[in-house]
Amino acid sequence: MDNEVYSFALKNTLNEIQNICPDIKNAFMFREDGEIIAGDKNTPEENIVHAIDAFDGVTEKAEAIGGVESIILEGNKNRISVSRMNELYLVTVTSRKADMNYVNTVTRVLVPTILKLLDKINPAPLKSAPPKLEVEPQIPIAKHVEKQLEEPIEEPRMEERKEQKEPEVKPEPVLPEPLVNQFIVENIGGLLVPTDTVRIDNDLLLQWQELYQDRKIEEVEIETFGGKSIRSKIKPIKDSKYEGKGIIQMPEKIQSTLEIKKGELVRVKPVIE
Amino acid sequence: MVKKKKSIQEVTTVTEPIAVEETTYENDLRTNLEEIKNCDGVIGYILRNSSSASIDLKDPTRIIDFAILSSSTFDAIRDFSELFDLGDVNHAIVEGQKVKILSIAIDENKISVFMEKNADAEKILKKMHMT
Repeated sequence: MDNEVYSFALKNTLNEIQNICPDIKNAFMFREDGEIIAGDKNTPEENIVHAIDAFDGVTEKAEAIGGVESIILEGNKNRISVSRMNELYLVTVTSRKADMNYVNTVTRVLVPTILKLLDKINPAPLKSAPPKLEVEPQIPIAKHVEKQLEEPIEEPRMEERKEQKEPEVKPEPVLPEPLVNQFIVENIGGLLVPTDTVRIDNDLLLQWQELYQDRKIEEVEIETFGGKSIRSKIKPIKDSKYEGKGIIQMPEKIQSTLEIKKGELVRVKPVIE
Repeated sequence: MVKKKKSIQEVTTVTEPIAVEETTYENDLRTNLEEIKNCDGVIGYILRNSSSASIDLKDPTRIIDFAILSSSTFDAIRDFSELFDLGDVNHAIVEGQKVKILSIAIDENKISVFMEKNADAEKILKKMHMT
């Protein structure tokens, strides 16, 4: 899985944690080697960098105690907690009055669950991104697709073309391999909502149309990480609050067929016919 | 003239008890730390202030490592406190895989108590505040 998707999922998790625990003032995660993985919306990156530096100062000298598993600082205004979770460190800053049992219950259950889920979807996601052999940009947000579209499929396509040139029998123009994008499932409901149609960012639909100029894209193929797949009609998202967030709005019927729920990740690619 | 003499006497009577109090406080702190050192799971302690340092560890071969770690912990406390507006930090607990450290700054005195991971840091903390 792309690190970006991983960070996106964790960033959303941290923001959601803050929504349910308003006493958490700041929350961010970083790797053992100091790389920032995700930060909530309230914490400036500069502060995270400085905090990691401060933390490094301790970890570098902590061999004598077997490395750092956690740090808790109790101030008279706020409290900071750094806890190790797998290969990551989660940092939370809470007010002095915060109910730490509640905060700990939420953070120590939710974050490891998300990490476990992400790890299950694709093991070792935090390792440096390996060279992509497939034409699979796997990006969640439509904005990022734009970049990928400019250069994405060039190298693999060239190889394919070379292979195809040898027989030189097929005169058909070679279409770009369908781009695969990852989306987070969001519910869509209502009386007039068709049960066979999913909705994604209009920007992405336009980009697909631009890429496959003469082809009309009316359907997409949705694939879960559990291996289930389905074809569905596609329409642009209407609700602006879901735009540009890497979300796919999906009727319950399709979710049920795919055996997935809101919040899970799916792969989506256009059906080009 | 008489009045001046009186004021001098007043000053001296005020300063003397403070000096005594400070000495007593440090002595109390050391005594308390000696008691803490005998608590279950406690490995030792480091007490530092601007003029002196006392280190008492059950395993003297680890003195340097622990002293450096103690110092780094107090640096981190200062940095974290500034970054996230923690206010005055009452105490910090750094937990490793084998050992944990309870660090407390009381006035000029910086104290780090080293203990085994399963030791009760809260209990030690309470004892510290009894000084």
